[in-house]
Amino acid sequence: MRPARTLVLSAALGAGLAATLWAQQFKFNLDHLEGKATEHVDLSLNSSMLTFASKFLDGKDPDEAKAKKLIGGISGIYIKSFEFKDDGGYSQADLDKIRSQLKAPEWGRMVGIKSGAEGENIEVWVRMESGKVSGIAILASEPRELTVANLVGNIDLESLADLGGHFGLPKMKKK
Amino acid sequence: MDWLEQELAQALARKEPAAGFDARVRARLNRRPQWLAIAATVLVMLGVGEAWHVRQQEGQLAKEQVMTAMRIAGGKLNRVQTHLKGTGQ
Amino acid sequence: MIGLTAVRQALDFGELMREHRGMVFSVCWHFLHDRDLAEEIAQDVFLSLHKNLSGIETPAHAGFWLRKVAVQRAIDAARKRSRRPQVALEDVGEPSVGPAGGDPMLGGMLRRLIATLPETPRMAMILRYQEDLDPREIAETMGIPLGTVKSHIQRSLAMLREKLERRGVGER
Repeated sequence: MRPARTLVLSAALGAGLAATLWAQQFKFNLDHLEGKATEHVDLSLNSSMLTFASKFLDGKDPDEAKAKKLIGGISGIYIKSFEFKDDGGYSQADLDKIRSQLKAPEWGRMVGIKSGAEGENIEVWVRMESGKVSGIAILASEPRELTVANLVGNIDLESLADLGGHFGLPKMKKK
Repeated sequence: MDWLEQELAQALARKEPAAGFDARVRARLNRRPQWLAIAATVLVMLGVGEAWHVRQQEGQLAKEQVMTAMRIAGGKLNRVQTHLKGTGQ
Repeated sequence: MIGLTAVRQALDFGELMREHRGMVFSVCWHFLHDRDLAEEIAQDVFLSLHKNLSGIETPAHAGFWLRKVAVQRAIDAARKRSRRPQVALEDVGEPSVGPAGGDPMLGGMLRRLIATLPETPRMAMILRYQEDLDPREIAETMGIPLGTVKSHIQRSLAMLREKLERRGVGER
């Protein structure tokens, strides 16, 4: 079996796993998929890491400047993304375990889309505290791809979406 | 010796260095050699330089991580946005 | 054995420094006419002694060795200094500890005149009249021919006499 190509980009500033989970607003519970995935992204960027990274974002580059502005409102970014060689790399149970956490009162499902042609589902959940956005959750699934993201903080969704569109590449590799 | 030579002997008589000379010599004996001090300074500077270089590398890595995160999360949101626009929502 | 040797060396070094620091400092001071530089060179000479102490055989050898190194270091310092701006002789203060007796005015004048001599005759004169060395000892210390030493001393004395006479200073 060909070993999975793994892109693991984990920030380690001595805060420890406990602190990461505390900052992350829900558990992903997807580690068991790593061995099955052909591509794997694991991003864990806490507040310190974001502040540090921000210093290296070039204000003269339009994309980096936008990212720098967005980071201002974000205190944590946690993303796990998997690509599988075949269908069925993940199960609905994997997603349901996450959804059950998002049923907590502070979370609300903002939008969900289904694209029949590609079999793509994307759900966007928003966490509210004191009338303000304090986090978002993105659950994106395709037959051979699963992405779960938690962005902690007061996120400018429109700007982030705009930035994502500007990048124009939601997929990691071409099929 | 004539008078000039006698005057010269007087004029060029030995003089003691300022008080504490022996202590100053001993203090230098106990100091690290200059080359060693310089070497230590250079090593410290290299350490600092290396630390800066490492920091730069870590910063670039952190930046890449952030941009990757933005691409992934922003990309998904953009697809939602595009989809909603397409369906007139 | 090593510990005993180290103790013996420490005593010897201290004694040698006490015995010869006046000589070393004076060679440097009279030659360079710069108190701070003279002290620095004198310190260097003793640091060098400490480093080479194991090669010193007798106290007399130490005296000879120190004088030779002081001469070399002072001349080297003067050559390095000649590439840098110098303080005017009139502005150079004299060490506060000086010999009793003698004419201080004349003594000061003589020291300043000696300081105007070129390096080799200047050092020859210092070794002759500060250290009371004979020309053969001076030649050995400076590593120059005996004839050169004698010539330098004769001509330097003649120059000094002439300059003193012009200033109205002569035998009393």
